[in-house]
Amino acid sequence: MIRLSKVKTDPVENLKRHAEAIGEAVKQAIKPDRVTVEYPRERRKYPECFRGFIVFDKEKCISCFRCAQICPANAIQMEYFDKAYPGIDYAKCIFCHFCVDSCPTGALNTSKVHDVAFKSMDEMRLSAKQITKVPEIVREEKQTVEYYVDRNVWKLVRKKELDRLEVPPKPVKVKERRAACTEPESCLGCRLCASVCPQNAIKVEKCEISIGEEVTGTGCVLQIQTDLCTGCGLCVRQCPMQILTLEEVGE
Amino acid sequence: MMITREWQFALPEKKHKKKKYFGNLKAEVIDAGLCCHCAACASICPVNGITAGDAPIDFPNWIKECVDCGACVKVCPRWDYTPKNGLGEYIEVTAARSKRFVGQDGAMVTEFTASALEMGLIDRAIFVARDSNWRTRVVTIKTPEQLYDRKITGTKYSYADVLPALKDAVLKSEAVGFVGTPCMVTAVRKMQQAFKKFERVKLAIGLFCTENFYHHDLYNFLLEKANADLRNAVKTDIKKGKFIVELKDGSKVRIPVKDFEEIIPSGCKVCQDFAAVDSDVSIGSVGSANGFSTVMVRREVAKNILDYIREKEYAEFREPKLEVVQKLCDHKIKIHPWPPKKKEEKSEE
Ligand SMILES: Cc1cc2nc3c(=O)[nH]c(=O)nc-3n(C[C@H](O)[C@H](O)[C@H](O)COP(=O)(O)OP(=O)(O)OC[C@H]3O[C@@H](n4cnc5c(N)ncnc54)[C@H](O)[C@@H]3O)c2cc1C
Ligand code: SF4
Ligand code: SF4
Ligand code: SF4
Ligand code: SF4
Ligand code: SF4
Repeated sequence: MIRLSKVKTDPVENLKRHAEAIGEAVKQAIKPDRVTVEYPRERRKYPECFRGFIVFDKEKCISCFRCAQICPANAIQMEYFDKAYPGIDYAKCIFCHFCVDSCPTGALNTSKVHDVAFKSMDEMRLSAKQITKVPEIVREEKQTVEYYVDRNVWKLVRKKELDRLEVPPKPVKVKERRAACTEPESCLGCRLCASVCPQNAIKVEKCEISIGEEVTGTGCVLQIQTDLCTGCGLCVRQCPMQILTLEEVGE
Repeated sequence: MMITREWQFALPEKKHKKKKYFGNLKAEVIDAGLCCHCAACASICPVNGITAGDAPIDFPNWIKECVDCGACVKVCPRWDYTPKNGLGEYIEVTAARSKRFVGQDGAMVTEFTASALEMGLIDRAIFVARDSNWRTRVVTIKTPEQLYDRKITGTKYSYADVLPALKDAVLKSEAVGFVGTPCMVTAVRKMQQAFKKFERVKLAIGLFCTENFYHHDLYNFLLEKANADLRNAVKTDIKKGKFIVELKDGSKVRIPVKDFEEIIPSGCKVCQDFAAVDSDVSIGSVGSANGFSTVMVRREVAKNILDYIREKEYAEFREPKLEVVQKLCDHKIKIHPWPPKKKEEKSEE
């Protein structure tokens, strides 16, 4: 059995504790040593690898759909302007940055803005145009705050730094690849590859077949123009006979 | 302009110039009553629009969705049709019974496949299993152990979508085998001619065949004519001109094959190929004693498998009666004349 009885208090001791609390309050008011960050006025300094909002470079995008295809949260919708570009729904995005990692040309990059604060669900759906810039955030103090323990005196130290938001361009490490057909003898002539290619690099067209001078019938011709191909691999995924691949080019 | 590779190939000639290729196939083969439901067209169609299953071949929205590539026409065994018939070329004929497996007759189809897998000639094979309703279900066999399942061996007298499964297998593997009716074997040979990828089909086992049925037709027919519910059946067979349904309680229902006339699909009525002349090896029940299968080895690859089966003593052998097989080949030509008789054409319409 547990018995809970009323705590007996010593009035003298009680008064002493009150005085102590008031003393601490006065001290904090004059010279505070708290560990909380006054968000949004200031923000914490995050490690370099911390993943933030995604920034998109329209010039580099080759409309390969890889980001949309890999996104595990289905947060990327391709939108059609002159080509297809990715838009991101931050209501769904889980910040895994698979899309950033999978982009073959470095068109998607991370930023150091992590403030996922929106007023409505609709606002969270950002179009390709809206993600070309780092979202602007207004902070009174453009400072980051970091806390660490100073081991010489064993005290918690608060360090302020200027908030740097620019991110170096993403190094593109992908090898150059171009579409190639491994087994044209199996081509159905279905033109699915040609219709999916954003570069119009593949031609599957009706042609005349002739032996010598004489036209003997109609046929189909499959052509890949490697100088137009960006190596996006869309056609490879599309081919029902799986006869297209990406071949590495260059040295 | 930089061009890595250019490839040219011929397209089949259209008989209806204004229509897309599927329109041509529909007019010349399907609506003409020649389609044998081999589903080769359904398997090759790049937009997966052609439907097979337990209904006539169709492409509901072909006017819009067909990309007019001509692949279906290239592989269809009934486009520009001239029936094949006779015993065909063969290296050796024997009658045999597997010691390892239980099947329809001597389970030699199963034995050939199991041995081919063991020898490493193929790494998967497409078989036809069934559900409790005797609807066909296509399965991929990767190990001989799978073949002990009695629902996988044995004959189902209904159309099966073997070739769509075969195409998927060909995309995944370098060496594939399959079992099918003579029309399917012929279709696969056409596929191999048209598209190199199908050279990966290393073993084609053909079954002797007089006709096949739509599942719903067969089911309803047996229920109405003989009060035999296929759901209670453990085996179906055709022996000496009788369709035999063996039921769970051990009783057998026998119906003369002649009575089936009304449900024989029109595509089978123009087929004269009994012995699957295009196969690597043809296997059937006629021409051998009860419990044995007649095996007609036609190509080198099948001969090697037969030698392997002999060496391992996986099967016992008997003398076949080739003249009985010959008789059925001739019989099929007689009952399925080509070109079809006028009277028959009318009754189809
Ligand atoms: C529709 C049909 C009609 C037939 N008609 C005759 C005939 O008139 N005369 C004759 O001698 N033999 C006929 N046969 C063949 C016979 O029934 C046996 O299949 C053959 O003797 C092989 O016996 P098995 O014991 O060696 O086969 P098993 O080792 O039992 O293997 C039989 C194989 O047939 C395959 N199979 C079963 N049903 C189908 C189907 N619907 N489509 C494609 N594959 C299937 C299965 O995958 C299985 O692997 C016919 C077969 C079928 C499928
Ligand atoms: S970060 Fe992850 S979830 Fe968000 S868009 Fe990229 S891939 Fe999708
Ligand atoms: S040819 Fe293929 S890989 Fe090249 S750009 Fe077109 S779709 Fe992409
Ligand atoms: S998608 Fe494949 S099969 Fe179709 S035309 Fe292109 S290469 Fe040929
Ligand atoms: S015969 Fe075969 S390929 Fe030809 S239309 Fe019928 S199912 Fe298709
Ligand atoms: S009778 Fe001919 S068309 Fe009919 S299933 Fe047999 S092989 Fe095919």
